[in-house]
Amino acid sequence: MLMQIAEPGQSQAKEACKPRVVGIDLGTTNSLVAHVEDATPIVLGGEGGPLVPSVVHYAPGGEILVGRAAQAKAATSPRDTLASVKRLIGRGAADLESIKALLSYELDGDARAVKVKMSGGRTVTPVEVSAEVLKELKARAEAALGGPIEGAVITVPAYFDDAQRQATRDAGRLAGLEVMRLLAEPTAAALAYGLDRGATGTYAVFDLGGGTFDISILKLVDGVFEVKATGGDSALGGDDLDRAMVEAVAGDRVRAGGPGLVAAALAEARRVKEALTGSESTTFAVGFGTGEPIERVVTRSELAGWAKPLLDRCAKACRRVLKDAELEKRDLDGVILVGGSTRSPVVREFVGGFFEREPLADLDPDQVVALGAAVQADVLAGGMQNVTLLDVVPLSLGIEMMGGIVEKLIHRNTTIPCGATQTFTTYADHQTGFDVHVLQGERETAETCRSLARFTLRGIPPMVAGMARLEVTFLIDADGLLKVMAKELTTGVESTIEVTPSYGLSDEEVERMLVDSFEFAEEDLAMRNLLTERVEAERILAATRQAFITDAPMLDAITGVRAAGDAAMAVLEAAMAGSDHLAIRHAIEALDLSTKPFAQVRMNRAIGAQLQGVSLEDAAKKVGI
Amino acid sequence: MTAGSRPDPFALLGLSARYDVDKATLEAAFFERSKALHADRFAQAPAAERVAALSKSRALNDAYQLLRRDATRAEWLLAREGVTIGDNERIEPALVMALLDEREALAEARVAGDREGLDRMATSMRARRTAALAAVAAAFAVPDLAAVKQQLILLRYVERYLEECDAALDEE
Repeated sequence: MLMQIAEPGQSQAKEACKPRVVGIDLGTTNSLVAHVEDATPIVLGGEGGPLVPSVVHYAPGGEILVGRAAQAKAATSPRDTLASVKRLIGRGAADLESIKALLSYELDGDARAVKVKMSGGRTVTPVEVSAEVLKELKARAEAALGGPIEGAVITVPAYFDDAQRQATRDAGRLAGLEVMRLLAEPTAAALAYGLDRGATGTYAVFDLGGGTFDISILKLVDGVFEVKATGGDSALGGDDLDRAMVEAVAGDRVRAGGPGLVAAALAEARRVKEALTGSESTTFAVGFGTGEPIERVVTRSELAGWAKPLLDRCAKACRRVLKDAELEKRDLDGVILVGGSTRSPVVREFVGGFFEREPLADLDPDQVVALGAAVQADVLAGGMQNVTLLDVVPLSLGIEMMGGIVEKLIHRNTTIPCGATQTFTTYADHQTGFDVHVLQGERETAETCRSLARFTLRGIPPMVAGMARLEVTFLIDADGLLKVMAKELTTGVESTIEVTPSYGLSDEEVERMLVDSFEFAEEDLAMRNLLTERVEAERILAATRQAFITDAPMLDAITGVRAAGDAAMAVLEAAMAGSDHLAIRHAIEALDLSTKPFAQVRMNRAIGAQLQGVSLEDAAKKVGI
Repeated sequence: MTAGSRPDPFALLGLSARYDVDKATLEAAFFERSKALHADRFAQAPAAERVAALSKSRALNDAYQLLRRDATRAEWLLAREGVTIGDNERIEPALVMALLDEREALAEARVAGDREGLDRMATSMRARRTAALAAVAAAFAVPDLAAVKQQLILLRYVERYLEECDAALDEE
């Protein structure tokens, strides 16, 4: 708000009006929530410790259990107890071939959006399941912090594509959370690590979770966290090792035994994997109804053998990310381990061998992501001012050209926010429309990339091929959200779309879920909107009044702004007295608009002041100008 | 990417325009400016300030992106002097033939799944990129803008080739 820019020193006032925000690590296996207090991130505990297993049980009577209570139902009602749903979110059935063979619950839905089919024919979407986990975390945070949560940063694998991100955002919305930002998990980890250790230099973050793998390289300098490159595999994790173990030990028998046995065998594989962290061998044992139980000794070297193909995939991603960052292994100052799967000695040995150094694991790999998310939430809420995060787009963005080839406008690992413009022309005579097909991914052809949006620019007069000039602009904001603009330069015909990637659930469906959900009966929603807008209005009024006093001379130097601002404030006050949240919103926007010239001047001054500390002459001398 | 269509990226970073910019200085200038005007600083600001901060942030990032890569920095400096590189620039016929042969060899290696061959080609092409960039620096020092332009056209071929190499090596 206005005040914070001008008075960076007045931290007390800031603390008082800072919204209550949290960071959430929504994991494949476990989830947790953290919060910044006195400039230090802490995890928020709850029953059974801070980790909430990302498991949701839907009882036949409609009751919903989350976490440990749900986990306890896995053996008896596997079809209604959903774990590892993060692997399904934003995915279609076709994306899931690799995990379908061994899953304790049944999948339904089409190529675009997968659903889970539970007992009694009930279905539920991965978005709804994730929302239940988020609701539980929100409730924990509210209990711990003593009030409603006004915003959350939720982490996602860096390598999630836009459909997976949008689905995660919707899950947050469904849980009644204002999602301030989706933050890449390895970036969050680096934030927490860098702040805690005061680390400076270039670090690789190796993040192997239950179902996703990320590798990021960051540069940490004096409060700046610059992501240099990120890569990974959003369908590779510890889960895959569990499945590989079950397949190797007794795949066919387990499959034949049905979902109950699959769930039990996967749970046993997880236990064996964890046991092999501390010992060289252990026994895999699962009861098999009335039949002969499955029993087999498993050694650590066997585990290493099953892990090999998975770690080879990790190695490939690591090599690519080093190349993208234009670095050699020896240029790194350290390798940070994140994610539960990095507890395994097999994984640690691999990382140590690959990067030719002992990896750093002194921060709890289960907590570090949530801690970093809390830091970023605090930054966005106007708290910490000493942290600047320079994140990147994880996947290239482009448009489809003639012949199905993808022309990339923004390459992966470009710092956000960013933009790019490119001009194209027509291939056919008298073409009166341009099809703009927006794609995400690294492959060369449209069919192998993810389609994000498609629109047509019409109304172009017929011209000879090659005459029309179509200018396409991609703009990415600080949230990584994409806006695409297309303009025909000879005629000025233009069109703009905000790209909201679909993942099979339409906006209307998500809205309906919102309204249907117990916490958001329609009147609740209206009341919530009203309260939110009133809080926002109060904040803006206070900030504007303060700025009008502090910078009176600056304000009066701009003709008409004081009068317009005063009038707009009066309108906003009147709107606040009513109960129409949209009227308040519009009045806030009108106030913003009326004080825009003033805000601009203040911001330029703020930026100027911040930069004064830097000696540009020094910089100039260095380059010999 | 012409000089006219964007703000001067050097000015945005507080540096004077020259090809042989020191990378560490460039990075330090980028970090300092990012601290001051990154969009996240203004997340709680009223909409007008947020929008302004976002576009400043974006312009800064785009400027840094342009300057830190040698080829785009060189192209921008050339464009400033009125020398632009079109889509279908002519280069020496002998060189064209050599490049076409190499593209063909690359395509064959790709079809055959010859990873060693691909690696070898990528390495040799990277060496050529280094040489071309050295030639760009030398030509800027003269200054001989026509020579810079020739090298940049060559670099475009080299980059395309390397992209294809990478794509081929990424395949399973």
